[in-house]
Amino acid sequence: MSDLPSDFANELSALTREYLRSLPTDHLQFCANYFQKRLQSQRAEFVLAQQLSSTNAGAMATTNFPGSNPFGSSPSNTAMHALQEEDETDQMTSPTASFPSNYNLNRRTSVSAESLNPTSAQNDNWAPPFHQKTADQWSRLKTAVSGNFLFAPLDDDQSTAVLGALQEKPIPAKDIKVISQGDVGDFFYVVENGSFDIYVNPSGKIASGPDGLGSKVGNVGPGGSFGELALMYNAPRAATVVSTERSTLWALDRVTFRRILMDSAFQRRRMYEGFLEEVPLLTSLTPYERSKIADALETRRYPAGTTIIKEGDVGEAFFILESGDAEVFKRGTEQPVNRYKKGDYFGELALLNDKPRAASVVSKTEVKVATLGKDGFQRLLGPVEGIMRRNDPSKASVESVDPLAS
Amino acid sequence: MPSLGFLKKKRTKDSSGSAKDFESPTSPTITKEPSQLSQPRSNPDALSNPATSTTASASAVTSDTNNSTAAQQNTAEPMNTAATPQQQPQTYSSPEASQQQNQPSIQNVINPPNNDSGYRATPARDGDAMQISPPPQVQARVTKGKYSLVDFQIQRTLGTGSFGRVHLVQSKHNQRFYAVKVLKKAQVVKMKQVEHTNDERRMLGRVKHPFLITLWGTFQDSKNLYMVMDFVEGGELFSLLRKSQRFPNPVAKFYAAEVTLALDYLHSMDIIYRDLKPENLLLDRHGHLKITDFGFAKEVPDITWTLCGTPDYLAPEVVASKGYNKSVDWWSLGILIFEMLCGFTPFWDGGSPMKIYENILKGRVKYPPYIHHDALDLLQKLITHDLTQRLGNLHGGSKDVMNHPWFAEVTWERLMKKDIDAPYVPPVRAGVGDASQFDKYPEETEAYGQTGDDPHERLFGDF
Repeated sequence: MSDLPSDFANELSALTREYLRSLPTDHLQFCANYFQKRLQSQRAEFVLAQQLSSTNAGAMATTNFPGSNPFGSSPSNTAMHALQEEDETDQMTSPTASFPSNYNLNRRTSVSAESLNPTSAQNDNWAPPFHQKTADQWSRLKTAVSGNFLFAPLDDDQSTAVLGALQEKPIPAKDIKVISQGDVGDFFYVVENGSFDIYVNPSGKIASGPDGLGSKVGNVGPGGSFGELALMYNAPRAATVVSTERSTLWALDRVTFRRILMDSAFQRRRMYEGFLEEVPLLTSLTPYERSKIADALETRRYPAGTTIIKEGDVGEAFFILESGDAEVFKRGTEQPVNRYKKGDYFGELALLNDKPRAASVVSKTEVKVATLGKDGFQRLLGPVEGIMRRNDPSKASVESVDPLAS
Repeated sequence: MPSLGFLKKKRTKDSSGSAKDFESPTSPTITKEPSQLSQPRSNPDALSNPATSTTASASAVTSDTNNSTAAQQNTAEPMNTAATPQQQPQTYSSPEASQQQNQPSIQNVINPPNNDSGYRATPARDGDAMQISPPPQVQARVTKGKYSLVDFQIQRTLGTGSFGRVHLVQSKHNQRFYAVKVLKKAQVVKMKQVEHTNDERRMLGRVKHPFLITLWGTFQDSKNLYMVMDFVEGGELFSLLRKSQRFPNPVAKFYAAEVTLALDYLHSMDIIYRDLKPENLLLDRHGHLKITDFGFAKEVPDITWTLCGTPDYLAPEVVASKGYNKSVDWWSLGILIFEMLCGFTPFWDGGSPMKIYENILKGRVKYPPYIHHDALDLLQKLITHDLTQRLGNLHGGSKDVMNHPWFAEVTWERLMKKDIDAPYVPPVRAGVGDASQFDKYPEETEAYGQTGDDPHERLFGDF
């Protein structure tokens, strides 16, 4: 979805803000003055930036901070400019980042989706709605959302649930407003067939009158989509979308989308925590520690026939098999010595020592594993030796013994 | 970089004699009898005895109405130290007493005589009292809180949000200034923020820390929720930052350090804050920070799911709807430090939130050349996707952040005591309701204190 140049929209919202701040009586004079000033400062900034970059100092590396150095050894009122010099000339990272043009200097509004708790925690039996689609429709929908970062991380199950929840919405005629700029947004749409024009009114919302829609900024046709921000939280619609002919849409609402994501993430997490409880090496972890490990587990996929760990290598990570099958091989034997299925874990001794892997694990099917390296594990929970010592009384520290104990 | 930390005697803590009157925390409503001041804590079930509370309220009202100077000598505990508001003297718990007392006073003070049925609001100028007049026969409906609308004279707006605004108010009992956050119930419900709003009150009620705002009490009428908090006079750090473009390294460090102490405290109570940004950091009259707006604060021992915060400041695991833990606050601290040092946020992109989120998920940050190398190192360890790398989330907890080289000059114990001079002292006149550091906003046009149907009454029982 394209829209009005953001530079322009930003200027207008800055003007609106200034206007609200001063509530002038003479509107036109105020706006004229404002833009005159704005133009001057923008041109001045540009010139300054040119000068600075030509002298190889970082553009916009200036500060007008009116105070003093809180950590100054001399009494306060040290000039901050002098301070600048001392502090900031001693290093140079690559001078790639500079002040973004048209950065929004206004206050930023907080956003929030509705509070959701995982279904399984409440024991209600929510299941996502499912709407039948033809094979063609499935593949078209898959393609349509493939470029969207909200859909990219979905696994197959999630993707099936989300696409299944998309509901057909016929638009019977032209000139029907599917979404109106400024309205609350609860749905995301994919165009199945037909065509829609996109309009943006610079005031931020649709107005009455012939030009109320604002100006046309684009068009979406089959395979296109719009309204994706509504899948994250309820924000006012940024544009108005109007049908130009009889059309069909697929619609998905935020709560359904988020519940699907949350429920599957929650179930996966419970599975992780369940696994972690079973690993003998980790039984002494507190629930909080297990939760931290579960947060940090990283999902990886391997095609069939991949050697996940190799006998003789130094072990650096442990693995939980989330889906698929794997086989364990030892040197000198043709047949697998063991098989792993969903819920099994391996490689956990790597957390304890640097001994070479005692066997190889090879994926038999496509597999998904959750993994965490020894380094990461130790950064999160501290040295493994300490954790191991917890449930081994022979290694309890001497200082903790009661002097009267025999 | 000079190695520092030998700090001279500081004036910034609240200990000097003359200023004390304005410095010490003081409840907006005050009971005259000393016995009642000690009573709440020693006699927590005073409220459950109707006779006791009625007596207390009657005498409180009398003394408040007639004698404000004597009352100023007393101090009271904010609600957070008293655990629940019920342990405070209940000022208006008796319906009859409040009826009798409220009616005349609200008419006298909030309702200007020249206005009959409607209400009007004029933009406040230079701290003039607001002229929002309620419809006739208005009376604040008092539920559980110890305060009510009649205890305050409402003045200008200090800030606005999606479902409410914050007013400067003056207590009619002790003439001190407070900030009252007013939330429209209908809007809270419409935006599906009931749970967050109740959490906000609950979390604020639990905390007490030098760098966190104090909540004195709450109340409600048929339309609005009210939260009485300290008026923090120096304005938003946001305004100072925008005026300065960016902060010099030590200045950013000072503010970041105070925020770090506050986060350390909140996390130690299993409270996740979730909305760190310069807009939510206020400067007190000495230039020390107070974190305000607990709208997304929540008790989270392990993991939580709701997408909330401010787009530029959201951690990737929040954007990706994965479930997340307290470490999102450390990510946001990284963004805050970046913004203080640079004047802009690292993932901002042409004003489109979806682009910001894509950038957050990609996670590539361009660091400007003027960032100090210690700061750069800290930022890289805060603004990281890898939870096994993110400082604050590791074995050492928040101590890892505090022990980072960038903070080497910070003497944390002294900072906690406000024993380190703030880099900037806002030019405010103390204790007189000087709101000059706050931007101006269009004023509310709907009267406060309305009675009548309240379809949302059950949702906000804590207020």
